[in-house]
Amino acid sequence: MARHSSAGYNSLVSLSSQTARVKVLFFGRLKEIVGHAEDSVELPDGAPIEALFSHYGASHPELARFRASLVASRNQEFAAWSTPLHSGDEVAFLPPVSGG
Amino acid sequence: MLFPMTKPPQPDLLALVRDPIDQAALIGHVRAAEDGAVVTFDGCVRNHSHGRRTLYLDYDAYESMALAKIREIAAQIHEKFPIHLVAIAHRLGRLEIGETSVFIAVSSAHRPAAFDACRFAIDTLKRSVPIWKKEYFEDGAVWADGEMPPAPLETRAAKPAS
Repeated sequence: MARHSSAGYNSLVSLSSQTARVKVLFFGRLKEIVGHAEDSVELPDGAPIEALFSHYGASHPELARFRASLVASRNQEFAAWSTPLHSGDEVAFLPPVSGG
Repeated sequence: MLFPMTKPPQPDLLALVRDPIDQAALIGHVRAAEDGAVVTFDGCVRNHSHGRRTLYLDYDAYESMALAKIREIAAQIHEKFPIHLVAIAHRLGRLEIGETSVFIAVSSAHRPAAFDACRFAIDTLKRSVPIWKKEYFEDGAVWADGEMPPAPLETRAAKPAS
């Protein structure tokens, strides 16, 4: 289903701070905007989901425009944007759902 | 065996599938001697959307989370309604007009619980399970307008990115 980002490695942090590596998933229209389904990102340990989203929003303005209609998830549970992230976490930004 | 008249407990059948949904199998799964009712919901692909002719749909899902959320729905309806068993299958990938995208079967001793549980299950699924459909028309394709799942409360103010 998911394929790895050709970019492979993104970093939000300098090497001196304590870091966390998280997996990021994109679905539906977000997958089309970002261009891949899965990414792996390094960020400061404890950084909120919001910071991770801002990282992608900066490089994909079209993604940032959808922010108000997105819900975040951490480890397959809906999560507040303020939720701190740690190594091994799996994060997704979910557009309004339309199953059924 | 203590209760030979009763079917041994069996788990609900909850699945995401890529092939056509076998409705008879789902009904057969939930239906037992102690049930007086089986209520089903058949969600099918409509040939129009917002006044445009739909050609086909394509469903994408966060599969592991979607299955976890469907399991939560099953647990919820067992808690809320006196039902026997539930089967829920959602199909992913390309679906043609008239095909079944989601099928739910609920069994219970008496019909009110099965009706109520089936309704609750589809309404909750449409609101909280991470599945998305793309609608293909003659002149293009769009991701369907969806429903925002209930978001958890923010512990601190989190500002939307501008």
